Amino acid sequence: MRVTQSMLTNNMLKNLSSSYSNLDKYMDQLSTGKKINRPSDDPVIAMKGMNYRTQVSDVEQFQRNISEVNNWMDNSDSQLDETTQALQRLRELAVQGSNGTYEDGQRENIAAEVDQLKEHLIDIANTEVNGKYIFNGTSTTGEAPVTVDEDGNVTGVSTNDDAVRIEVTDGTKLQVNVTAGNVFSEEFFKDIEAFSTALKSDTDEDLDSHIATMDTHINNTVNERADLGARMNRVELIVNRLENQSISANKMMSDNEDADLEEVIIQLTTQESVHRAALSAGSRVIQPSLLDFLS
Amino acid sequence: MVSTFSGLEVAKRALSTQQAALYTTSHNIANANTEGYTRQRVNFEQVSTLSVSRYTEGVKSDIGSGVQAGSIERIRDRFLDVQYRNESSKLGYYEQRAEAMAQMETIMNEPSEEGLAYTMSQFSDALQDLSTNPEDSGSRSVVSQRGQAVADTFSYLSTSLEQVRGDLNSQIDVTETEFNSILTQINNLNEQIGSVEPHGHVPNDLYDERDRLLDSLSAIANVSVSYEKSSGQPSEIAMGKATVTLNGVGQDVTLVDGNIYQVNHMEVTSNENNNVESFTFSNPNDTTATPVTIDAADYASTGELKGLMEMNGYVDADGEAAGYYNEMLSDLDQMAVAFVAEFNRVHQNGSNLTDDATGDFYTIDPAATRPAATMAVSEDIINDPKRIAASLSGPSGDGENAIELSNVFSKLQADYEVPAEGLGNKTSIKSFYESMIGQMGVVTQEANRMVSNAGVLQQQVEENRSSVSAVSLDEEMTNMIKFQHAYNAAARSMTAVDEMLDRIINNMGLVGR
Repeated sequence: MRVTQSMLTNNMLKNLSSSYSNLDKYMDQLSTGKKINRPSDDPVIAMKGMNYRTQVSDVEQFQRNISEVNNWMDNSDSQLDETTQALQRLRELAVQGSNGTYEDGQRENIAAEVDQLKEHLIDIANTEVNGKYIFNGTSTTGEAPVTVDEDGNVTGVSTNDDAVRIEVTDGTKLQVNVTAGNVFSEEFFKDIEAFSTALKSDTDEDLDSHIATMDTHINNTVNERADLGARMNRVELIVNRLENQSISANKMMSDNEDADLEEVIIQLTTQESVHRAALSAGSRVIQPSLLDFLS
Repeated sequence: MVSTFSGLEVAKRALSTQQAALYTTSHNIANANTEGYTRQRVNFEQVSTLSVSRYTEGVKSDIGSGVQAGSIERIRDRFLDVQYRNESSKLGYYEQRAEAMAQMETIMNEPSEEGLAYTMSQFSDALQDLSTNPEDSGSRSVVSQRGQAVADTFSYLSTSLEQVRGDLNSQIDVTETEFNSILTQINNLNEQIGSVEPHGHVPNDLYDERDRLLDSLSAIANVSVSYEKSSGQPSEIAMGKATVTLNGVGQDVTLVDGNIYQVNHMEVTSNENNNVESFTFSNPNDTTATPVTIDAADYASTGELKGLMEMNGYVDADGEAAGYYNEMLSDLDQMAVAFVAEFNRVHQNGSNLTDDATGDFYTIDPAATRPAATMAVSEDIINDPKRIAASLSGPSGDGENAIELSNVFSKLQADYEVPAEGLGNKTSIKSFYESMIGQMGVVTQEANRMVSNAGVLQQQVEENRSSVSAVSLDEEMTNMIKFQHAYNAAARSMTAVDEMLDRIINNMGLVGR
């Protein structure tokens, strides 16, 4: 085959340009840290990548949801704890009042404390977290769940016992509030008010029945707290699972599309030396012609 | 018996022939880098040794009477030209495809943090946030803004793709003009060649120019070339006039007729949606001739024009809009319409925070040419995010409908109340979009691969052609030395003859005086 100067120059230009495009590819991979920059680089990786990204972002979103779940549950739990303490005190007062040794004045004092405790409990039932009533089912805004008149008597108790549910993993929604009606029912406040009235009355009423009602309410509260506690345990399990999922989703995404830096650097170095060799060979091949040796 | 002065004549012929060869060498060197130049060589011919005499059959002398420069020939292999032009058509076709697909990839911009997939995932996250805080007006505003971002991305993609189609269409116009101009130039060259050849001349420069034009033409469309002999007494190595026909269009379309010096110009007709409808070939100088019309669906002549047509979009045999950009755009439309319909349906299932009934979240015009471009979040929601129906049962603390809304992206078609057309039962909006991008990746990858394949093949043929036709400076140098020496030797031989004659004329017959 007859080889001419123009063939050599054309070939050299073509090879240099393909060598440049290889360098460009490796530089891209190094600077972005990704194997691919366009779907056509590898359609399969691109498609998988889109899917993995959604998975990663889903898991992140669920983790954010969990923090909201914890917010609800922790607040509900601590408020129920306070409720139990207040109820215990009420029970103690009922026991004290019922032993019959107290005079009227002393019973008045007890009644005053009972009234204070009732107000405290109303406050708890009306707890707002981030502007939301946590003991009012899904009616988290608007009118408070427990309403009182000027004299502090309970006039109404909301009946919204709907569950507030938050999605924690794909398709799993978790109830985050407690069923307020099981604790702060209308009866609950009426019973306390009845206890206070009984204390204030002149007649030496038998207060034993109030001990029993306080016991019932304490039980109700404890039951609700136990239920909440069980759900909190479940949340912890879910948190662990999400953490594992997050790690594996990120790993899959990274395995799929992240460039192997060592490999790319080695390829880049190899390509660099190929490029240098091509340049120096070009300068040697193209320059001399017969002309250089004719005198 | 040799004539006394024939030696001078032989030497003279040798001088002028070597001179012609030297000049041709010089011409080759001068044109070493001229595009489309074919190296030339002088055909040396021995001068007939037959000498005239009074005998009827003549007397054959044993001594030759020198050399003369015959024709000057281009060294070229026509078969390689055919190969080169075939590869060049393929390369042109795939280059246009690859270029247009690369533009589409840039517009779709996946995988990235700016693409539609990311915007949709952000919107879905915003809806999840809303579900945990349905009473918060801040999360509602975020939902309405991210929802708008999704609509914006849809319409951005749709209008950008449409814009590229417009660019492709004007590129078709430019290519058409170039095509026609090349045809006219070839026709003009035919006329010039046809007027020179009958006198026995070989117009190498015109042949080179014509071959160069044919090379450019073949990149635009697949053509075949045949040659008509000129009238009169053309040289044996004269190429003749070229007749160019278009291949792959179902019938013979003569673009340049070498016999009658006529040319048929091409005109591309597009409909109102920028889709190529037909190609018309007509003689610009003869309006009475019936033009040949070829439907876009039948136009299969590989080359830049076909690549552009397929990317830009054309009307196929069933009268439908075909072409990859059209496909992508209609996929986007299908996706947008299906998504909006389902999203609105789920949205209307829920209740908002106002006293008014829940309306649509998105508005779209499914009857528009490109529905995706008309997508937007409804005015009511933008003005009052309280109208977002996050709740399923009604109270403000219920965010379950927001969860349903965020799940629309990954919901299978089979679970839709009203299944959308064309998406397939086992597909969700998200996976449909993923498959769109995957398909685009595969098509682009294929186009890129074919570009490099066709490029390698074309380069190989080009190399073979260069091997035959290109100027090698070393070779020319060698020839130059060869011819120079021959020239010097011829001059020397003339001197010898001169001295010989001097001896005869001035010094002979003096018998030693």
